[in-house]
Amino acid sequence: MKADEDLQNVGRVGLPLAPAFNWSVGNWMEQFFDGLKERKIMASKCGLCGRVFLPPRMICERCFAKTEEWVEIPETGTVEAFTAAHVRVGPDGELADLPEPQLIALVKHDEADTLLVAGLVAKNASAGMRVRVVWNETPSGALDAISCYEPMD
Amino acid sequence: MNKEVAVIGYAQTLYEEDADASREMLTLRAAREALVSAGLKREDVSTVVTATNDYLDGRTISNMRTVEPSGASQKDESKVEMDGAFAALYAIMRILSGFHDVAMVIGVSLASVYATYLPGIMILDPTWDRERGLLNEVSAAALQANCYMREYGVSDEQIASVSAKNLDNAARNPLALRQMPGLSVEQVLDSRMLYSPIRELNAWPATDGACAVVLASGKTAAKAEKPVWVKGVGLCHDSYLTERPLAVMESLKLAAEACYKQAGITDPASQIDLAEIHENFAHEELMAYEALGFCEEGKGGELIESGITQIDGGLPVNASGGALGANAVCATGLARIAEAAMQVVGEAGDHQVPGVKTALAHGQSGPCAQDNVVFILGGD
Repeated sequence: MKADEDLQNVGRVGLPLAPAFNWSVGNWMEQFFDGLKERKIMASKCGLCGRVFLPPRMICERCFAKTEEWVEIPETGTVEAFTAAHVRVGPDGELADLPEPQLIALVKHDEADTLLVAGLVAKNASAGMRVRVVWNETPSGALDAISCYEPMD
Repeated sequence: MNKEVAVIGYAQTLYEEDADASREMLTLRAAREALVSAGLKREDVSTVVTATNDYLDGRTISNMRTVEPSGASQKDESKVEMDGAFAALYAIMRILSGFHDVAMVIGVSLASVYATYLPGIMILDPTWDRERGLLNEVSAAALQANCYMREYGVSDEQIASVSAKNLDNAARNPLALRQMPGLSVEQVLDSRMLYSPIRELNAWPATDGACAVVLASGKTAAKAEKPVWVKGVGLCHDSYLTERPLAVMESLKLAAEACYKQAGITDPASQIDLAEIHENFAHEELMAYEALGFCEEGKGGELIESGITQIDGGLPVNASGGALGANAVCATGLARIAEAAMQVVGEAGDHQVPGVKTALAHGQSGPCAQDNVVFILGGD
């Protein structure tokens, strides 16, 4: 039996619904967000293996245990890797060219074991460079409290 | 595994940018042709596992209305919300349970239906990365590529070589979407920069299409015309992308080790004749070479330069063109199984590699290849 070429579709309709969701960020993220509003970077720590999660996670997957400790993390860290974004995902879900490339970095904060993804503003960026947080002067909440990272020197 | 489960049929639709068919019709085409390939009728199938995605289909319960075209009406039917390669693993488990003899596995999606890059944002941590607006599937992959390149000194040219190879191979595959015969490394490097080092030709093309694979128990497969035996299968899940080292594909390595143990593979580079790797981005194929043990850690760039993984090399990888040639999400990994089986049977036409007895197929899911499944298939 060959594919039936007459079994073709006609037209398509747009979905009228655009569902909105209201996530519960969880107690640990809530505490993280509260910290950011006061320019404090709070991470959770596994009491068993000592791994420090930033952003904080409620569970250490390796120890299969709840993280119970909190530690305040310095504003400084190291760029593990970065990419120059020449595009962004536009509101239509497609890639749109940026007027100027923007740097996105994976930053390992000092004293943390996991990575944060953030913007990097630096003329000569390099992996391994030391950076510090640039705080947003007029944040609308916790999500944009960290504006980007800049070189330490 | 010793002749317990085999692939006995397979089919793929034409991969297109904007198919003039609904996903139901693509599913029907793939399912019917896979049954013809297996020499079976719908009545012979007892369990159907579909791989579809609610978000890609814009509906909850994305297997709604794929039951009928997959031939699952009034049968044992379930869905995997991941790539079809993972659905194939569940189908194998259904058969090994002893309760099912023949399983149909189908993966399908149409990129022309959804906003291409939004699903890659929806898979991120919704409490942080998704909301911060910087990460998506491509930027995440670019960060991984940079970690990998920095750790092992892999070059842009070596990564572009993967695209040049796969898209040239795709030109021999009549079903592939992105066929670029004779594509050069320079042309890949000149393609539109997305997130450095990832250029347009280093990344998957948005694709419509479906793939179906029929699996059978040893008893039934032994009577089939062209059984391709599942010698081993390994599955492993890794941590979220910001919580693991990105320069290595640790979960792929662990999945391969489990698979090789079942299949009796101790020297993958010499025992495997051909591999179909699910490379959403070109650098992932180099990382996979290492995780799959085709070369030492950090030597993926040198391996592509050696020419071994070219279609006429000693260990051809992605003779079909791979995911860079066509990437219908949910069908892509399953298509690697279909392609690997097709090569073992000797039905791959213009992209057939002579003398394939043992083939590897790989499927992945999640940002930066978070989950990996590996199959070893063989003719006898």
